Amino acid sequence: MTQDVEMKEQPAPSNSVTVSPPSTLHHLKEIASLIETGAYDREARRILRAIRLTMALRRKLKASVLSSFLTFALTPGSEALTRLSSYLPKEDEHEMEVDTATSAAQPPAKHSLPELEIYCYLLVLIFLIDQKKYDEAKACSSASIARLKNLNRRTLDVLAARLYFYYSLCYELTGNLAEIRSNLLALHRIATLRHDELGQETLLNLLLRNYLHYNLYDQAEKLRSKAPRFEAHSNQQFCRYLFYLGKIRTIQLEYTDAKECLLQAARKAPVAALGFRVQCNKWAVIVRLLLGEIPERTVFMQKGMEKALRPYFELTNAVRIGDLELFRSVAEKFSSTFSSDRTNNLIVRLRHNVIRTGLRNISISYSRISLADVAKKLRLDTVADAESIVAKAIRDGAIDATLDHSNGCMLSKETGDIYSTTEPQMAFNSRIAFCLNMHNEAVRALRFPPNSHKEKESAEKRRERQQQEQELAKHIAEEDDDDF
Amino acid sequence: MDPQLTEVGQLFERFKAAFVRKDFDTCTNLLSQLKVLLTKFRSLPPLFESTPNAVNELLLAREIYEHAVVLSVKIEDQDAFERDFFQLKPYYTDAGSRLPPSQQEYLILGLNLLRLLVQNRIAEFHTELELLSATALENPCIKHAVELEQSFMEGAYNRVLSARQTAPHETYVYFMDLLAKTVRDEIAGCSEKAYDYLSINDARQMLLFPSDQELLEYVKEEHPEWEVKNGSVFFQKAKESTPCKEIPSLQLINQTLSYARELERIV
Repeated sequence: MTQDVEMKEQPAPSNSVTVSPPSTLHHLKEIASLIETGAYDREARRILRAIRLTMALRRKLKASVLSSFLTFALTPGSEALTRLSSYLPKEDEHEMEVDTATSAAQPPAKHSLPELEIYCYLLVLIFLIDQKKYDEAKACSSASIARLKNLNRRTLDVLAARLYFYYSLCYELTGNLAEIRSNLLALHRIATLRHDELGQETLLNLLLRNYLHYNLYDQAEKLRSKAPRFEAHSNQQFCRYLFYLGKIRTIQLEYTDAKECLLQAARKAPVAALGFRVQCNKWAVIVRLLLGEIPERTVFMQKGMEKALRPYFELTNAVRIGDLELFRSVAEKFSSTFSSDRTNNLIVRLRHNVIRTGLRNISISYSRISLADVAKKLRLDTVADAESIVAKAIRDGAIDATLDHSNGCMLSKETGDIYSTTEPQMAFNSRIAFCLNMHNEAVRALRFPPNSHKEKESAEKRRERQQQEQELAKHIAEEDDDDF
Repeated sequence: MDPQLTEVGQLFERFKAAFVRKDFDTCTNLLSQLKVLLTKFRSLPPLFESTPNAVNELLLAREIYEHAVVLSVKIEDQDAFERDFFQLKPYYTDAGSRLPPSQQEYLILGLNLLRLLVQNRIAEFHTELELLSATALENPCIKHAVELEQSFMEGAYNRVLSARQTAPHETYVYFMDLLAKTVRDEIAGCSEKAYDYLSINDARQMLLFPSDQELLEYVKEEHPEWEVKNGSVFFQKAKESTPCKEIPSLQLINQTLSYARELERIV
């Protein structure tokens, strides 16, 4: 489970993966200035971009680079600086020198932006997690969360959402998720009060994950149904939400809804998030089997998933044939996989579907068959069992047949001509509706730059204008200062 | 020893004595007194304050609620069962790590599963099931309920009924009897669809009635549409889905118009 999360955080190759020359520190400084402009212009999108760029640098982070970046970004002697540097391991001096030399070349600017401070927290946290120093990571994340609670700036939302995520991640990695549950709930409340929708989205997912980790489906559903919903801000978070929702629905036997959620989550997930998509597919396969559908072979042959989905493929095969014996042996053979995927209980539910499929096969092949033979074919213990099972299948509409009790046999009805009913019409309609809906959603998801229809001002011009305005503002401020 | 704790302990002893005597009225009275007294302990859920006597208090409270659940079964009050069970549950889940495991735990969890099954709350049944560990699932009490659910879903009703004999505890019998009633309705529903007719004798056996008279009464009350003649019960078949003779024009027009509208938006 943790793996899939890790995977998702790796961004699609972004433009910053250029040839190496400029040092990592240099990159970090560029990102810092991006955050600064983002904070001044109140443009959350720049900060989002900064985070994306950071993720590309993730593998190159070193303790030395980090510590020199911290001295660059934070006010010397500030509390944050001392605290953050204490988390970093001391490294050999010679590497340090190179970096200090470069940083010394620039005049140390006075930065005390909260955005930058939080960004430093995030950076150190990611570094600690990557270095598998989970205890330090836990301390660092708790400190950052405590700091975040006191800050209330909309430009921080993006960074905060990331911090929440890593906060929960390092507690999950050390296996004490239950500890932070009440804290997450409090954070969710704060985010709701501040109208921080991205934060709400992230925290809701973290809470759901937290509950599902302990199989608390009841609590998860209660929270989910009462939490405020709005248009999704982040695709990743939305995918996760759909996945958790799908799981909850599956447990509560609402298979149709569950299937929709899980398939959508699998489709919407980024290509790089292989682990996540595998999980979605596993659950989706089971849900479809429970619905009485047989997933196509292509589902199991998706690139990079063949091995992970193998147990589920064999399971599907057993259900498709309707062979109880085979089903049992598959369930036993892969029981460790199923219990680590926590799908064991669902597979127990499938037994009933295996019998149904077997029965359907029989009812198609024979127009008249004695119940004793049905029991033998389905490997049921007694004829009485077979009779009541067949009776229930008939009532549920799984097979079209009648029973003759006095002769102890099952009479299948002729399958009617489906094309004489409205069935094809309905199927056609639902497909068209699906396509149209897909188109509408795609249109809705398009993003238009703000005010593009009003002013035809180019990006450069706008930046110039904003710069001028800022300078003007600075001048005025300075003049004000001079007056005193 | 804390005086409050002693007081509750003494009252609980009286409760247990009455419980053994099967004097359930006294039990109910004592139980409500006990519950009021329990509210004074600050170590119990939801406060969970760590007072010096916390473990003793928790243990005592847990035992009281366990008895309350069993009592509710004895006096056949399902609502009381649900209430008491939910009060008991935190002692197993949230306080479980601090207390020695209870002997009664699986018995009571199994009873709860059975209750959900009887009330046909299958979704909640499965939600509860997810909370149980692999070892819990192996326990005969839990296993009994799980197997019942499976047989019930498959339609192997005779297996459900024969499970009454293998009930792991005497308290289970109450719910099993309730289940028998549900099963009878299910069988009736299935038979109606699956058979054209049944001889009265067969129907009686299938629906588990001791005499023909009771069967006829049941038919009259629950299924007046069944016809009894010539020593057989004839089920009125629900009308088959006949091939559609006429074109559902209104629906088609509606659909086509909506396609046109959507296409207009795209082009």
